[in-house]
Formats: sequence, structure tokens, C-alpha cells
Amino acid sequence: MPRVSALEMDDVPMGQLPPHIQLQRTRVFCASDAPTQTENIQYSGAYASMGVDNSFRLDDFVKNFRVEVARLDEDDIEFDMIGIDAALANAFRRILIAEVPTMAIEKVLFANNTSVIPDEVLAHRLGLIPIKADPRLFEYMSVKSDQLEWLPNGSEFQLVTDNSTSNSNSNSKPKTYTSFSRSQTSLPEFSEDSIALKHNDITIAKLGPGQVVLLENVEDEKAEELVKKCPVNVFDIEDIGEGKRRATVARPRACTLCRECIRGDDWENRVALRRVKNHFIFTIESSGALPPEVLFTEAVKVLESKCEQHTSVIWTDLTEDNGSTELKLVIANQKA
Amino acid sequence: MEHGSIKDSSSSTFSFADEDHTLANSVRFALNQDPRVTFCGYSIPHPADALVNIRVQTTGAPASEVLKDAVQDLMVMCQHVRDTFDKAVVDSKVSGSVKAMKIKP
Amino acid sequence: MVSIEYTKGSHGDITVATKKDVIIGRLPIMLRSRCCVLNLRDEAELARLGECPLDPGGYFVVKGTEKVILIQEQLSKNRIIIDKDSKGHLIASVTSSTDAIKSKTVFILDKEKIRVVLNQFIKPIPIMVIMKAMGIESDQEVVQMIGRDPRYGVLLLPSIQECVEENVYTQQQALEYLETKVKRFSFSYGSVEKEGRALSIIRDVFLANVLVRDLHFRPKCIYVAVILRRMMEAVLNKDAIDDKDYVGNKRLELSGQMISLLFEDLFKTMNSEVKKSTDNLLEKSSRSSKLDISQHLARDIITHGLERAISTGNWDVKRFKMHRKGMTQVVLRLSFIATVGHMTRILPQFEKSRKVSGPRALQPSQWGMLCPCDTPEGEACGLVKNLSLMTHVTTDDEEGPLISLCHSLGVEDLELLSGEELHAPNSFLVMFNGLILGKHRKPQHFATALRKLRRAGIIGEFVSVFVNEKQKCIYIASDGGRVCRPLVIADKGISRVKEHHMKELKVGIRTFNDFLRDGLIEYLDVNEQNNALIALYEGEAVPETTHVEIEPFTILGVCAGLIPFPHHNQSPRNTYQCAMGKQAMGNIAYNQLCRMDSLLYLLVYPQRPLLTTRTIELVGYDKLGAGQNATVAVMSYSGYDIEDAIVMNKSSLDRGFGRCIVTKKLTAINQKYANNTMDRIIRPQRVGRDAERMQILDDDGLAAPGEIIRPYDIYINKQSPINKEISVHSPAGLPDSAYKSAIQTYKGPRGETAVVDRVALTSDKDNNLCIKFLIRHTRRPELGDKFSSRHGQKGVCGTIIQQEDFPFSERGICPDLIMNPHGFPSRMTIGKMIELLGGKAGVSCGRFHYGSAFGEPSGHADRVEVISETLVKHGFSYSGKDFIYSGITGSPLQAYIFMGPIYYQKLKHMVLDKMHARASGPRVMLTRQPTEGRSRDGGLRLGEMERDCLIAYGASMLIYERLMVSSDPFEVQVCRACGLLGYYNYKLKAGICSTCKNGDNISTMKLPYACKLLFQELQSMNIVPRLKLAEA
Repeated sequence: MPRVSALEMDDVPMGQLPPHIQLQRTRVFCASDAPTQTENIQYSGAYASMGVDNSFRLDDFVKNFRVEVARLDEDDIEFDMIGIDAALANAFRRILIAEVPTMAIEKVLFANNTSVIPDEVLAHRLGLIPIKADPRLFEYMSVKSDQLEWLPNGSEFQLVTDNSTSNSNSNSKPKTYTSFSRSQTSLPEFSEDSIALKHNDITIAKLGPGQVVLLENVEDEKAEELVKKCPVNVFDIEDIGEGKRRATVARPRACTLCRECIRGDDWENRVALRRVKNHFIFTIESSGALPPEVLFTEAVKVLESKCEQHTSVIWTDLTEDNGSTELKLVIANQKA
Repeated sequence: MEHGSIKDSSSSTFSFADEDHTLANSVRFALNQDPRVTFCGYSIPHPADALVNIRVQTTGAPASEVLKDAVQDLMVMCQHVRDTFDKAVVDSKVSGSVKAMKIKP
Repeated sequence: MVSIEYTKGSHGDITVATKKDVIIGRLPIMLRSRCCVLNLRDEAELARLGECPLDPGGYFVVKGTEKVILIQEQLSKNRIIIDKDSKGHLIASVTSSTDAIKSKTVFILDKEKIRVVLNQFIKPIPIMVIMKAMGIESDQEVVQMIGRDPRYGVLLLPSIQECVEENVYTQQQALEYLETKVKRFSFSYGSVEKEGRALSIIRDVFLANVLVRDLHFRPKCIYVAVILRRMMEAVLNKDAIDDKDYVGNKRLELSGQMISLLFEDLFKTMNSEVKKSTDNLLEKSSRSSKLDISQHLARDIITHGLERAISTGNWDVKRFKMHRKGMTQVVLRLSFIATVGHMTRILPQFEKSRKVSGPRALQPSQWGMLCPCDTPEGEACGLVKNLSLMTHVTTDDEEGPLISLCHSLGVEDLELLSGEELHAPNSFLVMFNGLILGKHRKPQHFATALRKLRRAGIIGEFVSVFVNEKQKCIYIASDGGRVCRPLVIADKGISRVKEHHMKELKVGIRTFNDFLRDGLIEYLDVNEQNNALIALYEGEAVPETTHVEIEPFTILGVCAGLIPFPHHNQSPRNTYQCAMGKQAMGNIAYNQLCRMDSLLYLLVYPQRPLLTTRTIELVGYDKLGAGQNATVAVMSYSGYDIEDAIVMNKSSLDRGFGRCIVTKKLTAINQKYANNTMDRIIRPQRVGRDAERMQILDDDGLAAPGEIIRPYDIYINKQSPINKEISVHSPAGLPDSAYKSAIQTYKGPRGETAVVDRVALTSDKDNNLCIKFLIRHTRRPELGDKFSSRHGQKGVCGTIIQQEDFPFSERGICPDLIMNPHGFPSRMTIGKMIELLGGKAGVSCGRFHYGSAFGEPSGHADRVEVISETLVKHGFSYSGKDFIYSGITGSPLQAYIFMGPIYYQKLKHMVLDKMHARASGPRVMLTRQPTEGRSRDGGLRLGEMERDCLIAYGASMLIYERLMVSSDPFEVQVCRACGLLGYYNYKLKAGICSTCKNGDNISTMKLPYACKLLFQELQSMNIVPRLKLAEA
């Protein structure tokens, strides 16, 4: 390439990002040493110099956002969310883990326990068993710090425990419950059996941006080598005529990002391993109480309600004049 | 709670009690996408306190207004996500049942 | 319990009666030894007996506590050791030990003169005098005995001259000379005996291990000559000096030897006791019945003597003037490994305070015998050692048959040799257990013959034959306490153990003993190893190879054997892990829940390590593990992970990671008193003042199992009689008023919900009812609890973080804990990294991977390449680094994170047991200052150095406040006239000086109570401290 003075070079076309920057904006580069371009460019004015508005328009979002359900059964769901920022997707994930209510046993009263397992351990194990009951049907106890009551022997809720209410509730399926109640009735063999019952479906969510592997015409033997190299069968071979063959990405979802395909001499130049920043694969395994799709809706609702709650707070703040806000602050400080 | 100044309403810090990265990070995202925002960020002052501080600086608009807009945007987005998701689930259930019917005979 | 046959001779009419099976005493029996009921039991039988099949045994149960008699390390007895003393003099010392006497003979080369130092002589005796006293009057003969090398003659000359200067030429003169040098102990010795003192010392004390029959001194002379020859060799050649730290010069004394020593002494005491009491009886003229000695056998001398020795650890053997302390220890039951490790511990002979490096250094000769890793840190470092995995410590073997065998194999008897012939070229001296047996002309031939006999099983398998080319000696040893280990015999570099042997072993047709009996394997001690060329693996053998190692990982002991890939770690890390493995919580035995340990730490969900070693399987650590496989991400997170702190996942803790149970024992005794009254336990009051504190009591007055016990709760409602001395005619019918309450209350930390786990009713040694309560407390990990991996990488929990904030991998895997990568560069624990890789591969392919020490060539450890291949096959990166997302923002991290399972141990140090703060609280009575220590709710000391800082800073008011106001302020009345302390008279409302008898010049001031105390103490020793007050 001949050297050209910067002054003589063409201007960057306004209103449009050059392809490499566009790639950086939308892809995570998974190089062999470390991933780069991992963060989303969120700032609205990030590309202002190029005349590109990075700001957010709701209608754009509405237009581009897609959900594709890949798999759905009683306890699991796997779906793709395309066109959403990591911040939001992660918020949903976090809520799924932490804030969507699930039912579990909180207090256990031991009438008699003659098994080898000590009371606390048994209680702990019982507490880990998810109860198949729809938590939405119950009065949800808030765990906000200002609603905690100070009791002489530690922080305790004075309300009745979950399991006592669920006992009366007709909606609670008795399956998990019987095993639990039986363990109370001084039959150590049974109690152990119930513990061994594997309720291994704990609400767990995981996500990862969708992956796309771009190839620069890896052909013939090299192509075959590549297919062999990947342990999880991401690649396939495609005939491109004239006796030439080319490796293609056949199963991008199977990629575990083991980076085996870019290991070794020169492979990094042939294979570009990248991930799409705004494509997320969600896998939700339900603990059984609620179907996974409901869980996700619940999670979104939680975030919504959070927003709602805080808008109202901000709104009330706004309606009051600023002076009083300051005054309130002072009072709060004095209290502290 | 807002910690701002009377003179300049364009920049202030908001303290959200009983919140963590979940809301703060989403709000930061929404704020960042707003062209009126010159700076925004959040911090959790101490891991033992359930408290987030969100800092908003704008080009001139009142920070609280901008924040409110961001939060409302977020809400709208959530609603849209829910709608799209529900639709997708219904679609997949329908297609899934069709598939199942195909397999049966 | 031992029953002994004895013979009874009655007086008068001479009838000899025998009485069989008379009990003279009871002997504690080592668990799982041949006499123990647990010996040769299989697993099911042991389980039925309530014993743990994995328990190593080897300890004693005395007075209800488990005691180990630790292995004692000593310098070889009856061996010549050439050394240099602190002043640089060459020294040859022989510590003789026979059945009758123990003595130490030292030959010292001082200013070119060789002298003998013996305790019985007041000063060093010239060697030639001794020789002459032993009947070798001719100097020429001495020179001949030593050897005719002119250099030796030159070295001996000053000694000969010295002898001449003393005018000693004949045996008689020598003895007379010695007589003057004998120490006079007391005047009670009769003068008749005095004459022979010098001779008897020379005969019995000087080199006591060489026996002298009928004043036949020749063997002793030759022994002396050999010593002199070795000394001169050392003068000429520095290499000939022996190394005291050389393991071959050491003997390990096991519990059997210790007990036999004690038993012998006690038995003799008992005999003399019996004699004394019989004599007393016979002296009495009026005896009614016939004498029967069996009636006078005192049984408890032996029983009590042994019991006392084992339970206190004080070994007092009067005959040998042995007073050793700390010989026994309570078996560590902190974890299973601690127990096993305790059995292999070796205590050093010298005290720990000595700052010498020699005995602490790692000895090349301890290869395969003593673990190179397992030693404590600090003052006992390198002195306290541990046995390796396959070490065997020999016991005494019979000498007689071996000696005659040697003679028939061509050893020329000493008696028949002249001094000249002794050191003839091409002939080797034959030393048997430190004695000179004779000489042999074909040393190698003789050695191979003996070894063949040993392999054939004709002589004991632990007899060692060692040809020392330098000293021209053949050492044969059959004594006890030598360390040895088994090795595969190789003929011309080809191992005798073939494939079909191993197959037979696997099928179970062949056992280890079969290998030994068939001459495929033999035991070599440290000395004999010097004659062997040992190949590490069969493939590395050369034609000269005589032996092949069984497995290289056996050079490590039990504790070091737990470490995966220890050969990839920096060596001190393995040593640290050896110490920490003993503090790890887990399981202690299969019967851990049936035991009543005073303090027990258990893990709720212990796991088997994903990365095991062969040692782990051999010892049984896989069955009684002490740790959990934690998914570890090596990354920096949150800043709460500096200085080795670890960040833990709260959800993992919720699921039971690191959860542990601590049980403590409380004891109450229902005492019986001299007047036949006894304590009683009564029903609890259900109403009334103490009803609340008695909530946990059952109707029997004891705390019920399963009840939550809080501080100040009563766990036993006991009453004791007020009158305990004066006899009462009906002890059972005492009225209630005759009892006073003797309740016992639980004093635990506040806020801890402890539970009564079990209540056991037993009886103590005085047959009192003894009630033991086990209090259980379940703890989940909290900030500050200590954890460690198996690579000496300890760290405290720095923070606990919600799972949603934790990073997660592409597959949704979330780590259990996060470790800071700064822990790696300086520690160089590559083994930990390989453990992570191996664990990750093991998890994904469903197979336990191995990491035995030095195990790669033999397949006992997986290679990193193979592990990486497995990882790749299961879709992980070959490097073990995963693509990780931040749990906070949801975007990927800008680095691949090294993540996988590592076996983590929870150590017994927990914050809950250590945290302490105090505002005001108890004070010491004497000084009125705050108490010291957490257990007494003590204050936090502002020490001297802190005080220095405050002085330097000038914060005098702070010093005043800390050292007086907040410590022990006291108001005193000081008399300005006499300067002494007065008192305050409350009636007159004035201070009065007791010395001046008035209150005219009294001032009130404040000073620390300790200061006032000092004044009074000074006064009590006639020093008058006077205070001179000035206006401030």
C-alpha cells in the first residue's frame, strides 16, 4: 500500500461508522490471549465525531428486539434474546437468581430425630428443597432493611413461616411436602430417604452472548483439520465447487469458547472468533414450582416494579421544591 | 434520595436504598443512552450497606428529570421485553405442539 | 494383663511349690498390636466392636485417654563415633549399653595426646595407662595392634611419652595410677573394695559393651586399638570423621523398648519390695502362719508404674539414671490425618532450644526413610521428623546364632589373631552390632553369602550387612531401632519382580510377605543402602544396579502424601501443608459420632479429593476426607482478596460449603463422699425462679439431647449434701434440707445456638456416676475463617458475596471461591495449578485423576498434556482458562480466567473462637488491673512498644488515660510530712497518716493501684518509698 499523507486521505463518511469500528461496537473479539472489546459502548455521544448518534430510541429497540425460543419443556427453557444490552439482560439474570421468590422451608420443628443426621443439618437440607408452590399466591414478605424488626435474639420475622401457610394452601402440591412431614415423624429411615430425593433443579440462570465465528476461507486440508480440532463440533465442511471445500460454522450454539480452533501457529489469523454483543442465550432451569417462562416474566416484572417504585420516589422528590429536599437531608443526617 | 445543590440542578447524586447492581446498572445504561447526559455512573459505597449512589450530570436539564425519564424508558423496555417474550413462548408452544402432532402418526 | 508363673520355696522343710498364673501386674496394651483384641479383625468385625477400621492403632488407652508413646531418636549405642568437639579436638566416643550398665567412654585427642574421659575418673587418663592397666605392657604390641603404618606410630608417640612421664610401665603401676584418679563418691565404701576399684571400672564401665570374662582383657584391647586406629585415620584424613546426623548412626526407640525398659525397672523394684516385706515378716518372732510369698506380691507397683509413666509421659528409670519427660502425648484427634501423622512422629534426643543447623538440615541418608517434607516450623524445625510411608523400624534379633553363622562362614576369631595380623592388608574386620567378631579375608564374598541367606529367609530379614571399604570393615547389624525400607532386588539390572508377580498380587494370590519370602524384595537399612545401587525405575537400571525402588512417592510420609503433584511445588509449601493438613476439619474416624471427645471439629459435607494420590488411597483419606472440592476462579475481585484473602460465594455457603460442626464436652460427676452420702440429681422445677434456666432439663434432671442450650442454662440439676464429713446413719434418708444446690450452668458465647447432642452416663475411676454432655454447634463459614488448599496456601475469608455478583462462565458455572492470582508468583505452587487442571478434567470426564509425587513416569500421576487433552475433548480450553462474564454488568471480562475445582480444607481456626472485645469487665484481684486473655474477658493491652510510641509522640494525656484512668485508678491519702500512705477515716471524714498519727498534712491524690501495691511490697522488705508532693 502506498503511503498517503493524512491530509490527502478521504474523510470518514459522516453519519456512518467505518466497518472495523462497527465490528468493534457489536462484537467481542476472542483472541487467544484475552478477549477484547468486551464492554458495550453505551454513551450516546460515543461516535459524535463521526456523526453517528449512539443514543437510544425506544422505537429502534422495539423494532430490533427479538426473542427466539429454542427449547421449552416443563422445567427448562432456552431462548435467545437479540437486540438488547448486556446491562438489561444481566439485570434479568440477576433477578432470576436472587429476587424471583421461591418457596423453601424456613423453620423446622423437630419432634424427635434419632437419625445420624443432626437437627441443624437436616433442617439445612430441608431448607434446600424447593417447595412446589406458587409463591405469587402468598403474601410476599418484604426483606427491606427498614421493615426488619429488632428482636432480642437476632433478626427474625415475626410472621408465620412459609410452610405453615403453605400447609393450608390447596395449591401446594403434596409431593415434596409429604416427604418433609414424614421426616418429622421420627422415622429416621424415611427421613433419610426424603433427603436423598434429588431436587436438583435449583433456579439457575445462565446467559451468554450468541456467538458467530467468521472464517477467512479456510480451505481443503486446513478445513478438515479445523473440523477435527474443535471438540464440540461447531464446524462443518461445505463444498464450494471446483474440488475445493470450505469450513463453515454449522453449529455456532455448540461453541463453548474453548478456543481450540485458534490455538497453535497461525490459526488465529485464519479463524476469527467473535461474539455478538447484543445476542444472549438464556437457559433457565426451574426448580419446579413455576414453569420457566413464568419465571422470566416474573423477573421482568420485578425490574419493572423497581423502576416504578423509584420513579414514584423521584417524582415525589421532584414535586417538592429543592430547598426542602436539602432540609430533609440535614434532618436525616442529624438522625444518623 | 437526591443529593444535589439548589443552584445547579443539572448534576446530582441519587441514593437508592435496598438496591444493587441490578437496578443501578440498568439505569446507568438507560441514562447513558440519553443524549442529555454528559456523565453518569454509580457506586456501592460499602458492601455491607444495601445502598447505591447514582451520579447524573446533564447538559442542562434537571438531573432528576433525566433520571426519571431513564427509569421510565427502562420500564417501557421491560414491558416490551415481556410482551415479545410472551409472544415468542406462545409461538413456540404452538409450533412445538404442531411438531409433536407431526411425530405422533 | 500379664500372668506369670513363679516358684515358691517354703522355709523349714524344704518343699518347692510352684504356683502358676499369678498376676503380678497389668500392662497397657497397644491398640491393634498382637495382644490387642482388635488384632486381625476384619472391617465388619471392627465395625461391630464400634471401632474404626481405618484407625491406625499404635497408641495406648490409659485412664480413658488415648496416649501415643512417641518414637525417640537416639544416637547409636555401642558404636564408635568419631567427631570433633566444640573446641576442635578430635573425639571418639562410645555409648555403651548393656543389660547391666550404661556408660559413655570418650577418647579425646588433646595436644597430640590421646586420653580417655570417663565419668568415674576425676580427670582424663592417658590412653597408654589404660592399655597397660589392661595388661598390654609393651608399647610395641600397642603399635602393632593399631597397625604398622609409620604415620600411626608418629601420632601415637606423644601418648606413649606421656605415659612414660607418669612413670607407668607395668600393669600394677598403671592400676595404682588409676586408683588415685578414681572419683570418691562417698565414704561408705569399704576399704577392702577400694583396692579393686580401678580394675573394676576398667572391666565394667570402660567400654562396657565389650564383655570381659575372667579378666581376659584382650578383646577390649583390640577394641581400643581399633578406636585409636580410626582416630588416627581421622587425623590424617578429614573424611573419616563420622557424621552424627547420618541416619545410619541413629536408632529409633519404639514404645516396646521404652515399656520393656520401664517394666524391667518396675519388676526389679517389685522384687526388692517383696524381699523387704518378707524380711520384715521373718524378723517377727511370733508368726502364726507359714510364709507364702505369693501373698506378698505387690501387684500395683507394675500396674501403677506403667500407668503413671504413660499418662504423664515421665520415664524415670533409676538404674540407668534416665529421667525423660514428654515421652507420651495425647493422640491428636483433630482430623484423621493428624492421628495417623501423630503415630509416625519422631522426637529428637536433644532439646529444641539449641541453635544448630546440623541436626536440623535435611540429610541425604534419610531418603526413603524419613519424610523430607513433614517437619514443624519454628523451634522444632528439622528436629521433629516423621517416618516415610514404607519405613520399618527393626526390633532386636537374636545374636548368638548369627555369631556362630559368621564364624562358620569364615570369620577368623579374634582370639586366634595377633595384633600384627589384625590389620593385614586385604582382610576386613567383621563388626557385629558394634563388637569386633574377627576378620575375614574375602569381604565381598562373605557379604553376598550373608545376603543370600537373608533372602532365603534363613536369617532374619532385617539383618543388615554393610561392607565399608574405607574402614576395611564389614558391619553386621541385627539390633533394634534401625530404620529400613523394602526394595525390589535386581540381578544385573533386571528386576526380580516380573509381570506375573504383579498380576498375582492384583488377583490376591500374592501378598507383600510372599514377595519378601520369595526373595523378590528385601529390607535395606541406611548403611546397607550404601552398598546398593538403586534405580528409580526398572527402565533406568544399568547392569550394576542391585535394587529398584518400589515407588518413588514412598519417600514422603503420610501427611505429605496428601499433596497432589508435590514435586511441582516449592519445597517449603509442602512443609506448610504437612502442618496444615493436621488442622483441617473433616472426619476423624468412622466411629466419630460414638466417641466422647472433649473437642471435636467435623465438616458437615466432607468430600473425597477429585485429585487423589496413591498415598491417599493407601491411608484411607479418600474415605475420611477433610475438605471439599471447591470451584476456584483465580482472579482479582472486589479488593477484599488482598493478602491471601479469599472471596466466597454466598450461595455456595447456603448450599453447605465449608459448614462445620464443633462439639464440646461438659462433664458432671455425681460425687460420693466419705460419710456415705452422695450427690443427687433431682427433677427440675417447672415453675419458680430457676424454671426458665431449667427449660432444657428432662425429668431426670439432665439436659435432654436435641435441646438448644444457651448461656446460663442449667444442664444438670444436681444437689450435694451439706454435711460431707460426719458420718450419717442413713445416707439415703437425708431430708431435702440437708442438701444444697450444686447446679452446673453452661457458659458458652452469646448468640451461638448450641445444641445438646448426646448425654452419656458412665462411671469414673472412683466409681462415681459421671455424666458427660456433648454440646454441638453448627457453623457456617464467616468472614475471617481460615481456609487452605493442599499446597500450603492458606487464606482467610475476606468477604462473602452474593452469587448474582459472582462471575460466571460460558456454561453458567459460578465459582465457589475466588483466589487472588498474586498468591502464585512468589509461592510457586505449580502443583496447585495442575491440581486445578486435573480436577477440571476429572469433573468433566468422570474419573478421579492422580497426582502422586514423582508419579508421571510410572503412571501414578497424570501429565499436564494428557489432562489438557481431556479438557479440550470436553469443550474446555487446553489451558484451563475460561471465558468469564462479570456478574455485575453481564459483559465478558477482558481476560480468560483460570477456573476449576481445587480441594480446599477448612482449618480449625475460626473467628468465632477468637474474636474478642471489651469495654469494662473483670479485674485481677491483686493489682486491680483488667484481666488478661480472651478466656477471662480480658482487656486489650497497651504494651510497652505502644507506650513508647505515645511517649515519642507526646500524647501524655493518652498515656495517663490508658495506664491509669482506664486501668487501675486508686485514691490514696499521702502524708506530706512523712511521705507515706495514710488512710481515710470515714468517721472523722478526714485522711489520717498512720505513721504520724495525725491528719494534719494529708493530701489526696490518684495513682495506679499497682503503684500503691509496689509501695507496700517495698515497705514489707524494709525499703521505705516516700512520696514528695509538689504543687502542680
